[in-house]
Amino acid sequence: MSAILSVSDLTVAYGGVTALDGVSLSVEEGEIVTVLGANGAGKTTLLLGIMGAVPAMRGRIQFRDADLSRARPHTRLAKGLVLVPEGRQVLVSLTVEENLLLGAHLRRDRQAVRSEIAAIYERFPNLGQRRHTAAATLSGGEQQMVAIGRAMVARPQVLMLDEPSLGLSPLFVSKVFDLIQEMNRSGLTIVLVEQNTGKALSVAHSATVLELGKVAVAGPCDALRNDHRLLEAYLGGSAESSGDPQPMRVGSQ
Amino acid sequence: MIAQQLINGVMLGSIYVLVGVSFTLAIGILNFLNFSIPGLFMIGGMVSWVLLTQGWHWAAAIGAALAAAALVSLAVEQLSYRRTRGADPEVPLVSSLGFLVLLENLVLVGVGSDQQTFPSLLGDFNFRIGGLVIGAAQAISLVLTFALVVGLSFVLGRTNLGRQIRAIAESRSTAVLLGVDVGRLVPKIFVLTALFTALGGVMFALSYLQVSPFMGEGVGFKGVAAMIIGGMGSVWGAVIGGLIIGLIEVGSIWAFGADTVNIAVYGSLLLLLILRPHGLFGKPAIREKL
Ligand SMILES: Nc1ncnc2c1ncn2[C@@H]1O[C@H](COP(=O)(O)OP(=O)(O)OP(=O)(O)O)[C@@H](O)[C@H]1O
Ligand SMILES: [Mg+2]
Repeated sequence: MSAILSVSDLTVAYGGVTALDGVSLSVEEGEIVTVLGANGAGKTTLLLGIMGAVPAMRGRIQFRDADLSRARPHTRLAKGLVLVPEGRQVLVSLTVEENLLLGAHLRRDRQAVRSEIAAIYERFPNLGQRRHTAAATLSGGEQQMVAIGRAMVARPQVLMLDEPSLGLSPLFVSKVFDLIQEMNRSGLTIVLVEQNTGKALSVAHSATVLELGKVAVAGPCDALRNDHRLLEAYLGGSAESSGDPQPMRVGSQ
Repeated sequence: MIAQQLINGVMLGSIYVLVGVSFTLAIGILNFLNFSIPGLFMIGGMVSWVLLTQGWHWAAAIGAALAAAALVSLAVEQLSYRRTRGADPEVPLVSSLGFLVLLENLVLVGVGSDQQTFPSLLGDFNFRIGGLVIGAAQAISLVLTFALVVGLSFVLGRTNLGRQIRAIAESRSTAVLLGVDVGRLVPKIFVLTALFTALGGVMFALSYLQVSPFMGEGVGFKGVAAMIIGGMGSVWGAVIGGLIIGLIEVGSIWAFGADTVNIAVYGSLLLLLILRPHGLFGKPAIREKL
């Protein structure tokens, strides 16, 4: 297999403070890669760096045979790198349908866009019923469905999701993970940032753990699921911030 | 008679509508209180006057005036908006105010500070309906204003471009993540506001047959008032606001004489803001975007 997306040595700083320090990530076509790490580890920054939404000090973004290191976000999106951003970022002043149409704004095949949106409504009847109401009125879970739908109509080749289950009810958490697995089974390559380590490791093929802007551990999920270094790396930040020396159970099934 | 005053008020108001909508677009989309707008209004009037006096065909003169305003607006974007973005919102405001003063004084140096008589392109032509007299220039500016606002609201509400613009208005960073080419759209918005405003300046000159380097100030402040009355950021709010100001202005001249115009306009504005601090159509918590 060859990597569809490979990030090498990506370094991003916010006003002199390094948030991402020489991170490399290789994503094989058709797999789910999960990126884990404590709060502030740099997961969001990694995805924003892949999208080109934050300036990289160093590093290279290779997508298939194109070097996108210098490309602007809309070019990367047009190539098929699509992000479901942290906190969903549904545009609340637009209607559900306008959000979905906005996702497809780079496409010219309107008929196909319409039928894909119709398919989303069929899958999530709640969204269909409220297609012409402001997205502000939706629940968090429904907004996440809009955010994922909006990304899907952009025709991603690599779909990146930044903590899609955060703050959702258990029902919607499992809906989100079902959807991720379903999309992956139909061939979509996925990069999944999650705090829900157990669930993420159970759906992903490989994992990368970030700690303080660096890759702490990376490898296939089977190997990592019982790896103590993963637990330590992952919990280092949160155990420190909570002052709790007792390690949490992670990845248990 | 009342009906005639109403018509005059709406005609005058249509000029304020164009300027108010420009302010609204700048604040609603770019979060920029763009005080160069009265300068663009003046450029619309003054540049077409200069070119007409040099014997240009009216269409060429007006076209060139609109183009000049668009270019100046792009300069404002480059020098005033882009450089100071990320600073406190007052910084671009003051910077654009500097642009206004600069433009006015450049024109003053070029053609002097006198009020100039704008050639009457439409003669004394006017429509008479019943007992009402409607000047051709005013009628054209009213129709054009409404055509433009309806077109604008269609573009914003129904098109791909409009959705991208509204995405920028709500969250520029989200728009970037969705692949909106913000760097290319923002200058277009500056050009759009310049065209609206400068057309207002041309229409003002055609209707009232006078131009001066400072013609943008009074109208510009009323445009800001129109925007505020309508609730900042709402296009149709600015339309209603502009018409209300036109009506108050004409009504107060008719009832109390010309000296009371600004007292009536700005007195009403103050009163409205006391009663409804977010304007007629503004929403308190979530500010309506366009
Ligand atoms: N816009 C910004 N300006 C300055 N510093 C930032 C900015 N965004 C993130 N940071 C800092 O960069 C580091 C990495 O942040 P990032 O948001 O990528 O972490 P994360 O792993 O996504 O965290 P979380 O799990 O909380 O979402 C943190 O130290 C954070 O404080
Ligand atoms: Mg994050």
